[in-house]
Formats: sequence, structure tokens, C-alpha cells
Amino acid sequence: MRKVWSIGIVLFLVLCAFQITKEPLFSVPTSWPKPVYDFSKNPLTAQKVELGRALFYDPLLSKNNQISCASCHSPFTAFTHVDHDLSHGIEDRIGTRNSPALMNLAWHQSFMWDGAINHLDMQALAPISHPNEMGEKIESVVKKLQQSKNYSALFLKAFGDSIITGEHTLKAISQFMLTLVSSNSKYDSVMRKQAQFTPQQKNGYTIFQKNCAACHAEPLFTNLQFENNGLAVDTTLNDYGRMRITKNKSDSLKFKVPTLRNIEFSFPYMHDGRFKTIAAVLKHYTSGVKHSQTLSVHLQKPMILSSNDKVDLTAFLLTLTDKSFLFNTKYGFPKK
Amino acid sequence: MSKRIVYMMMCLLKGVFLFSQSASCIKFSPSFGSEKLSADSVYYLNVSDSIQITSLRFYVSNMELLDNNKSVWIDSNPFHLIDAFNEKTLSVIVPSNISYSKLKFNLGIDSTTNVSGAMGGDLDPTKGMYWTWQSGYINFKLEGTSNISKTRHNEFQFHLGGYQHPFNSLQTVFIEITSKSTIEINIDLLQIFQQINLAQQHHIMSPGQEAMDFSEKVIQSLSIKK
Ligand code: HEC
Ligand code: HEC
Repeated sequence: MRKVWSIGIVLFLVLCAFQITKEPLFSVPTSWPKPVYDFSKNPLTAQKVELGRALFYDPLLSKNNQISCASCHSPFTAFTHVDHDLSHGIEDRIGTRNSPALMNLAWHQSFMWDGAINHLDMQALAPISHPNEMGEKIESVVKKLQQSKNYSALFLKAFGDSIITGEHTLKAISQFMLTLVSSNSKYDSVMRKQAQFTPQQKNGYTIFQKNCAACHAEPLFTNLQFENNGLAVDTTLNDYGRMRITKNKSDSLKFKVPTLRNIEFSFPYMHDGRFKTIAAVLKHYTSGVKHSQTLSVHLQKPMILSSNDKVDLTAFLLTLTDKSFLFNTKYGFPKK
Repeated sequence: MSKRIVYMMMCLLKGVFLFSQSASCIKFSPSFGSEKLSADSVYYLNVSDSIQITSLRFYVSNMELLDNNKSVWIDSNPFHLIDAFNEKTLSVIVPSNISYSKLKFNLGIDSTTNVSGAMGGDLDPTKGMYWTWQSGYINFKLEGTSNISKTRHNEFQFHLGGYQHPFNSLQTVFIEITSKSTIEINIDLLQIFQQINLAQQHHIMSPGQEAMDFSEKVIQSLSIKK
């Protein structure tokens, strides 16, 4: 009898602990800045996140029902499109840019390499309606969702309304993307004093802070600004970046600084995917920087890195890999 | 004609329901010269040049009534998508138990709203008034065909918008009015087409100087029907 009681008590305690330690849907990692996303306008709930996840993985969002967001933003590669320099959309049409890795989006003020999108909610509209990506209209996506029994139920559960609107569709997709937080790399453990860098990684970190951190600022590893990092224009694409949006010459060749978190997995690199390896990127910074009117002040002087420096810097960059992010089952294809 | 009478009755009824005291109605009435705008009509700029309108839609936002330059009423529903070919959308109820001398509203969507994420009602992106490849609302959309535009199917498309400096195309309109049961605001497309040359200008699809200049012409075509 006593035994039964104690088992009961243990079970009860375990359940309590489970309740208490149940992970929140989103939390700001210690010492990170405040997110930019206004959660009060779209408060996260488990049901909405789940709906957003279903939408993110559903090819129904494309005109031919074959391409989903995950086709170009795969969870196993930090939500980018591996092996393609330019992303592929419906009917194998090729876009003009490399798909960026998706993480820590709650801190971003604008989206796309040129900042064309001003709010995370509005991001999904761009690929949905782009003829080379999903080639669909949000109006028809909403109609298709409305005809699906499964989605009527999911929307009812999430928003208390089975009538599906563009607003709710977009907000649900945002909710899922907001949960994609990567903050558990070795680098993070070191910052939290739970681990230590090897001497090589430590030296790499010093080199990083000196040469890269002005733009790839910690803890997000991007200052979220638009900068010209000296890439020569690809004359088959003639992409001048931010200037297309502001129509201001001083923004020519400026692109949004990408994060370096999970960089080990998010190749190929740069807005047009021109570099396949970290070594090629470092070669660019040390000997390939093209001078032009808008080249960033941080790259005016040549960057000198010995081959040892490069090895150490690379070792540091690999500490930004976050396995708990890359292999998080909560981010994966939704269970049926 | 009969449509109009039915419509006025609707206005009145709406008023009775919303403000049990009394209410009046601000009604947008799109025209081409002196003719009421309709989707099936062919309009003539001169003997040889014709125009057909397939779509005229625009946002009217933050309506406000003023008396001696003091605000006496602010619209509790700030955003209205007006569609020339959908009678239901053309009118806004205002109270009439107050005195006012001026109407103020924005033609378009303000910059704060433009950067505030997904919204519902008339602002839902399924309404076709949102740019997808570069965030922002389309404040004003005018589409149709004309033999003058030497484009595919003789189409012209003017999508006016842009909320970022220096290309903010939002227009604030002030109109002198007197209190009466139906205040009719005429928007005369003929006045717009007389100021542009469709042979040279037939597409505006992004924010910029062109959209700003065109937006000016749009507000110049507004007048109060006496
Ligand atoms: C055909 C491939 C493709 C599909 C499908 C696709 N994307 Fe993308 N995505 C891209 C590319 C390419 C970019 C960068 C485009 C640019 O900068 O012009 C991008 C950019 C983004 C960004 C901006 C990231 C940043 O850091 O600025 C987000 C967020 C995003 N996509 C989410 C989505 C969502 C949600 C969907 C599904 C509705 C989706 N994508 C579907 C290729 C795709
Ligand atoms: C002047 C600011 C600046 C500095 C300094 C800088 N970067 Fe970058 N970095 C950028 C920008 C901007 C891009 C995107 C450029 C593009 O695609 O057009 C980028 C892209 C990258 C990418 C590709 C990321 C991806 O997902 O495609 C890597 C890797 C990278 N930088 C590493 C480094 C390293 C390592 C250093 C230091 C040795 C460094 N950067 C210094 C601005 C900078």
C-alpha cells in the first residue's frame, strides 16, 4: 500500500514538473535585445502555431499544388534551399535570388535581401504570388483553404472562426516562423558559461570580432542593416539590391546582412548563392572585395588573414551550429 | 435612376439603425464628365478616342468632420475600400445632429498602418489592394482600356501607392461642406484623363514620383455635388 502511495506521489510530482517546465512557444534568450515583432497584435497560441506549421509545409499554397514554403526553406538546412544558388519554384522556374536561412525572425525589421517586405506577416504574400515561386494568388489560396474540411477545423480551433481570411492565414504563418529561434549553439553555451571554446575557436572569435562583427553583430550575427560587402555585380542578374526599393543611388549594391548562425548548413552563400564554401567566402573578404562608391566603411582597408587565421575563424563559425534548432521535431513536417 | 432612389433609402435606413437620432450619408459618386460611371459604358475623350473603365477602387481613411477647424466627429471605422462598381461600398454614415463645415479624409492608407502587419476587413490582403513583391497598400487603383494606349489589349493600369519618404503618395483632402442628409463627393475621371496622355503613360505599378504626381491629379478631380 505504501508503495502504491509513493509511486502515486512520484507520478504526481513528475506531472507537476512537466506542467511547470512546459516550454513556452517563444521566449527571448537571456541578454538578447527585445524583439521587433509586435506580439500583442498576434499573440502566440499553440493552435495558431500548429496551423502555421501546417500551412508552411502545404503545397496547396502554390498554383500547381506542388511547392510549399518548405520546398525552398527546408528545416534540415536552417530553412534554406540547399544545392541551389538561385531558388527553384513551380514548373522548375528559377528565381533571381538565393533563399535565405530562416531563424530569429522576430528580431528583423524588414525582410528579403533588399528589405522589400516591411513586416513578417506580409512576407508570405511575396512567394505565394511570385510567378517564379508559387505563382498563386492569396485570394485563391484562401478559397482553396476554405474548401478543405481539415483547414476549416484548424482555423476554428486557432481563431474561433471557421471563416478563413487572408489576415488569419498570414498571421498563422507568422506564428510558426516566429517560433524558429536558434540560440543553442556551442557559442551560446560559451556565452552562458556552460561550455568553453577550444583555443582555436577562441582565437577565431577574436578574429571574428575584429573583422566581421561590425556587420554580423552578436547575438543575432547580423546588424540587420543593408551593406555593400564588395561583391562584384553578376551581369546576368544585374541585382543592385536595396536601391530597387529606395530608388536612391547611395543604396546601390547594398543587401541585408545575413545571420551567420548555422552557416555550416545554409550554403550556398550570398544573395545569389555565388559561393559554395566558407573558404570561398573568406577568400572574397581577403582578396575579392570590389571597391565602389557604396562599399561599406568597414571594408575599405584590405582584410589580412593568414591561412591559420582562416582556419581558426572557420572553427569559430562552426560553433554557431545549433543542432537543437536544426533537428527540432517541433519545426518539422507536421504529423498527420 | 431607380437604383439611386433605392440607394438613398438604404442610406437613410442604415442611418436609422446606427444613430437612432439622425444621420447623414457621405456618398462617393464616380463619373466620367457628367455621366455616372459604369463598367459597360464606352466614354469618349474626343471623336476618335474612347475609354472603358474596368476597375476603380480606392481607400478613404480617417474621415473627420470639422467645425471652425475643430474636430467634431472622427470615424470609428477608419478604413473604407470604395469600389466604384459596388454600390454598397460607396457611402459612409456620419451623424447629422452636429454642425460642421469641413470634411477631412485621407485618400489612401497612412504609413503606420502600412507597416503594422496583416489586418482584416477592408484591409485584408485578399482585397487585391496590397502589393505583394514590395510591401505596401495600393491607395488607388484605376484600370481600363483605351485605343490610345498602344499596349497589350490596349490596357492601362494605374496602381498608386507608396508610404515611405520621399515617395509617400497619401493625399489628405479637405472639403468645405454644409450639413445635409446626403453629401455627394464627385470623382470625375474625365478630369484625370484630360491631364494625362495615355499614349505615353499607361502603367504605374510601384511607388515613385509618377505615382505621387498622379495622386495629385486624383484629388483635383474631387468636388462636392451641389
Ligand atoms: C521558390 C522558392 C521559395 C518559396 C516557395 C518560398 N520562398 Fe521564402 N524566400 C525565397 C527567396 C529566394 C527569398 C529571398 C528573396 C529576395 O530577397 O528577394 C526568400 C525570403 C524569405 C523570407 C525573408 C527572410 C529574411 O531574412 O529576410 C522569409 C521570412 C520567407 N522567405 C518565408 C517564406 C514563406 C512563409 C514561404 C511560403 C509561403 C516561402 N518563403 C516560400 C524563396 C522561396
Ligand atoms: C560591411 C559589412 C560586413 C562585414 C565587415 C562582413 N560581412 Fe559578411 N556579409 C555582409 C553582407 C551585406 C552579406 C550579404 C551580401 C550579399 O549577399 O550580397 C554578407 C554575407 C556573408 C556570408 C554569407 C551568408 C549567407 O547566408 O549567405 C558569410 C558566410 C559572411 N558574410 C561571413 C563574413 C565573415 C566571416 C566576415 C569577417 C571576415 C564578414 N562576413 C564580414 C556584410 C559584411
